[in-house]
Amino acid sequence: MTVPATGKYRNGLEQSLEIIMLFLMTSLAVVVIVGVGFRKAGAALVWYDEVASILLAWLTYYGASLAALKRAHIGFPKLVDSAAPQLRLYLVLCREIIVVGFFVLVAWAGWQVLLVLNGLYLASLPSVSVRFTQSVIPIGAALFIIAELLSFAEIWPALKKATRRQLE
Amino acid sequence: MILLLLFVGLILLVAIDVPIAIALGAVTVIAVLMTSGIDALPNIALVLFTGATKFSLIAIPLFILAGAIMNSSGISQRLIAFASALVGFVRGGLAMVTTAASMFFAEISGSAVADVASLGSILIPQMKAKGYPAPFAAAVTSSSATLAVIIPPSIPMILYGVMSGSSVVELFVAGIIPGIIGGVLMMGTSYVIAIRHDFPVEAAFQLRRVAETFKDAIWALSLPVIILGGIFTGWVTATEGAGLAVVAAIFIGGVIYRELNWQRLRQAIIEGAVQTAVVMLLVAASALLGEFLTEQQVPQRVAQAIVEFTDNRWAVLALLNVFFLAIGLFLHSAAAIILVVPIVMPLVNAVGIDPVHFGLVVTLNLGIGQQTPPVASVLVTACSVAKADIWEVSRVNIYFVSVLFAVLMLVTYIPAIPMSLVNLFYR
Repeated sequence: MTVPATGKYRNGLEQSLEIIMLFLMTSLAVVVIVGVGFRKAGAALVWYDEVASILLAWLTYYGASLAALKRAHIGFPKLVDSAAPQLRLYLVLCREIIVVGFFVLVAWAGWQVLLVLNGLYLASLPSVSVRFTQSVIPIGAALFIIAELLSFAEIWPALKKATRRQLE
Repeated sequence: MILLLLFVGLILLVAIDVPIAIALGAVTVIAVLMTSGIDALPNIALVLFTGATKFSLIAIPLFILAGAIMNSSGISQRLIAFASALVGFVRGGLAMVTTAASMFFAEISGSAVADVASLGSILIPQMKAKGYPAPFAAAVTSSSATLAVIIPPSIPMILYGVMSGSSVVELFVAGIIPGIIGGVLMMGTSYVIAIRHDFPVEAAFQLRRVAETFKDAIWALSLPVIILGGIFTGWVTATEGAGLAVVAAIFIGGVIYRELNWQRLRQAIIEGAVQTAVVMLLVAASALLGEFLTEQQVPQRVAQAIVEFTDNRWAVLALLNVFFLAIGLFLHSAAAIILVVPIVMPLVNAVGIDPVHFGLVVTLNLGIGQQTPPVASVLVTACSVAKADIWEVSRVNIYFVSVLFAVLMLVTYIPAIPMSLVNLFYR
């Protein structure tokens, strides 16, 4: 059986994001544990807090894209689910436009920030640029848009079919 | 006018199922554009980044991960066996076992949904097989799981601590006595129902069986003792304790019980990461809204308006209880804490309510919200495991929700219940 093109892209994105999550979550746990060890040994690491906080931000935005792909973000679907079939289609479409529109703005704002951050470096790790750490906002927003559209492409035909059946 | 539009817009977006985090961000972006123009837009990216970099919140992914790893390591079966040996001989034994195992599991997971998914999938089918009605099985599992939000470690408490600037450790300690009271009252309620409906008992009490199951579960039971002991004595912070919980969970699951393999660990990490991201996106988006509301001095204005109406702290607590119970019907607990706590804190401080005491009140209110439809994440999970209708389960669950409400009233109006251990050890 052939897998539709969007299905292939979806699986590819899901696997890539899962690998990123494995790396970030493991790194976060290792950094915190190593930080505790060094602090207890009387040699606290100066970069521990800053690096752990940045890993949390990266986990947030890359993980949010994976959650979008799995449609796992917290919402309130009761009203839309109970709406008339035709109205429900419009509401779902409206929801997608708002979600994608918001992240288009975030991606643009994040890009503008990157342009002005040139030449700034982390206080505790001067070899790491702030641009690199903040890149998660425009990249994360772009990934969120792709994830949202791919998962939408999956649910939309089924939703339309169900609506048509209900109207008949 | 802008504030009114902001709140109406937020309600509209949430009503059409825009994820709450994105609804928060979207209405704030529009409000910022209306007040400061497009030049202020890049600031949104900066706030979204800094909003997700609060160090104390690192405890959340690590506790979620530790819970997910323990969940994949055969811990549930061991806790259930030990609880069964302890309380299974009482009439309605499996219901007792459910509550006791939930209390043990709560000390590890910090999440009620994880609790109900893990224990419910084992205990609900067992209860149904022994003749307990499915709605009762779902109700007792669901309500007992809510104890996870008051028994430490608790993810809603970590969120509350960060949002209110309170000590997470003090919040954890404040949850101990109310958690035990809640558990005992739930067992009492189950017993009364079991007598009335003649539910069966499990095996007779045998000290030898208690010793054997205790020996098998000792590693699982020692985990909260080590982690919470480290946090309560100040040896490690809550975040560091969460890091140690991950190490201990991998050690116990992989080396001691030998039930944790790479496939399960990988799945646990990914599940933990997605759950974290969902909560953290809410936190980051709320930082956007919070900054805008603070600029507009909304929390201060709300506090002033209510204080002009009454400055009696018991009356204010009653008002806040009603408010939180109402929003608990419609909002996920994380979303409710993130949205509302920063707005009401100036009021709480103005009338002299201890923020740690108030933290327990908020957490319990939202715990009740997890049991009350239409938005009842824990109840829905239990119903899905039991394959029972949510309204039938809710009819039985009224008894257990009443127990949670009684604990809420005790915690609200007898502050010594949550605060006595805090005052004894930390003040």
